[in-house]
Amino acid sequence: MDLSSLLVQFVSGLSTATLLFLVASGLTLIFGVGGVFNFAHGSFYMLGAYLAYTFVATVKLNFWVAALAAALGAGILGMLAEALILRRIYGRAEEGGFQILLTYSLILIIDDLVKLTWGTEYKSLSRPPGLGGALVMGDLVLPSYNLAIIGVGLLVVVLAWLVLTRTRPGRIARATALDRETLGLLGINVPLTMTVIFGIATALGGLTGALAAPLRSVTPGAGIEVIIDALIVVVLGGMGNFWGAWLAALLLGEVNAVAVAVAPEWASLFSYLVMVVTLIFKPEGLFAPRQVRKV
Amino acid sequence: MSSRKAWGLLALALALVMALPLGVCAQDKVIKIGAMYPMTGRPGLYGLDSVAAAEMAVAEINAKGGVKGHKLVFINTDSQAKPDLAVQIAKRYISSENVHFIFGEVSSGAGLALTEVSSQYKKIFIGTDHASTQLTSDKLQPYYFRVSNNTFQSMAAGALYLKERQASKPWTTLAYIGPDYAYGHDQWNELKYNLDRFGVKYKVVGEYWPKLAAPDYTAFITAIMKDKPDILVGGLWGGDTVAFIKQALPYGLFQKMLYFSPDGGGNYELMSATGDELPVGLALSGRHHNNWPDTAANKKFVQDFFKKAGRYPSYAAEGAYSGIYAIAQAVEQVGNPADTEALVKAFEGMKIKLPEDPEGFTSYIDPLTHQIVQVQAIGETIANKDFPPATRMLGNWKVYKAEEIMPPVEYLKDHSSEYLKGRLPK
Repeated sequence: MDLSSLLVQFVSGLSTATLLFLVASGLTLIFGVGGVFNFAHGSFYMLGAYLAYTFVATVKLNFWVAALAAALGAGILGMLAEALILRRIYGRAEEGGFQILLTYSLILIIDDLVKLTWGTEYKSLSRPPGLGGALVMGDLVLPSYNLAIIGVGLLVVVLAWLVLTRTRPGRIARATALDRETLGLLGINVPLTMTVIFGIATALGGLTGALAAPLRSVTPGAGIEVIIDALIVVVLGGMGNFWGAWLAALLLGEVNAVAVAVAPEWASLFSYLVMVVTLIFKPEGLFAPRQVRKV
Repeated sequence: MSSRKAWGLLALALALVMALPLGVCAQDKVIKIGAMYPMTGRPGLYGLDSVAAAEMAVAEINAKGGVKGHKLVFINTDSQAKPDLAVQIAKRYISSENVHFIFGEVSSGAGLALTEVSSQYKKIFIGTDHASTQLTSDKLQPYYFRVSNNTFQSMAAGALYLKERQASKPWTTLAYIGPDYAYGHDQWNELKYNLDRFGVKYKVVGEYWPKLAAPDYTAFITAIMKDKPDILVGGLWGGDTVAFIKQALPYGLFQKMLYFSPDGGGNYELMSATGDELPVGLALSGRHHNNWPDTAANKKFVQDFFKKAGRYPSYAAEGAYSGIYAIAQAVEQVGNPADTEALVKAFEGMKIKLPEDPEGFTSYIDPLTHQIVQVQAIGETIANKDFPPATRMLGNWKVYKAEEIMPPVEYLKDHSSEYLKGRLPK
């Protein structure tokens, strides 16, 4: 493969990776801070896509405003799900298994609610005005909307870094991840913190769904399509590791893009291979800090 | 007991007594059809359209007094397009619902599982809109009949289309993108088989196998652009086609090559989901079209469906509608919905006029393979606002004769079940 087609594939991989990261970011945030594995995270992604569709097609909002509103909507629904349902199983011995079953049933419930509200016909959104085309440089074609998504992905990474490291709520969030009991003793409202973090995570899911809507078909069941790849990203990055998820998404996006061009028949195998190898040799995640092993 | 409660009980008892004889009567003279269609997920729309159209056919036939004194009764259970679930439902239909026919299923995976149940219990299975050719070749059994086209028929028509096109707009290279499961691989193998059979010269420059329901096609699109095929054959369907086309648009893919998808690519759902974004000039087809053939029967079917469902049908609707009419016609001839062996004879070779038949042609069921034999039309996307929300429909039709696109005997010799083998001409 020559250099220019390699570059084209690389940029393809970058845009795939950004959407992967955006879905995975919320998933890994909830896991890292709350210890909750939210199998229904993809459903909030789907809700974001449907909400954005309604805000654009029915309420006639500008696309970017609609995307933010959809993120807000998904966040509020996420907080409700946490406060009304998930919170009740925290701390139980069977919590791990219960979480998966409970969040899996949430997927089915949300799918049916979506079907009742929006029907089963495919919904579709156009790219926002001005971003329908592409930058063309010889063989290199860069769709403007994909570039915008890459930009949003970077913005989320920077914002998350600032919030988590430079602000008090960010420090509380990190402390929640370490020791909820002590934090409670210090007078922090831990249940509220958990709900808010769940809301932020599902809002990230909703934002991604809204951003992906112009590129994909919006259907019931769309959440299932993204959750497995997002899970791979979370595992590769190290469960709960925000930066790890970003690097893992980049790695997977690029592995896939190059594999499709070089060995199309086996393309989907490679991302799973990367995961299997990681699980065997570095189960704490590719980008997790080296752990001290006790002898 | 308060008097209100007593009155309530009395009313309930009365209602039960009144309902009882009705129920018994109805059970005496019914044709019971047990359907399995997905109502959820990506294939959910196909299931909903199928069920709406089947119910429409049942209502039409019952309104005219039923079939030889029998009323049609249609029940459906959500199969989620899952083979194991469909099998469970079919067994329940047979053992406790006493259905006369099992019916439906838009997924070939579930269809293949159901045909085993049909064979085991000797219960007729009317297949609608699952397209794997295997059901009417390698896996054919005596009690299976299909009333919509299979992928072989679509791909044979596709090969003829490409052959004609080579004469008018010379092309040499092909690339393929299709889902990485039986349906995707079958289409590609059958297209190549038919291109060879019709003596078309071509060179394959790329083959791509995304997973079914993959959300992102970007890497595939840029790799296909690098291959520079003259024609990109698409084996994607439903939401996958929608996502692929939307993602390929800014790359200018459709200006650089012909996108050609003759089996499921031209379903109405694509036109309704993409609106103005859908490029003109793509060559597509499907198992039924809302605007072809331009006959009174097809127009009536489409408009009646619209009145019932509030939306225009995707192609699965007409398949289910046809299945109900085929059952009615078979029972009309035999007189008894329980006489399975006589019904099998009635289906074999049955001639049946359907909404998708153009003037001068009547669909029929091939007595050898139990596959319906139908005309196939391939069209190009053109501007057309007759079926909103779509703003593009297919037009500039090329029409392929029904007999020309059936699998030839040489093909069947290599692809036949034990049952079919015994029936092939020596």
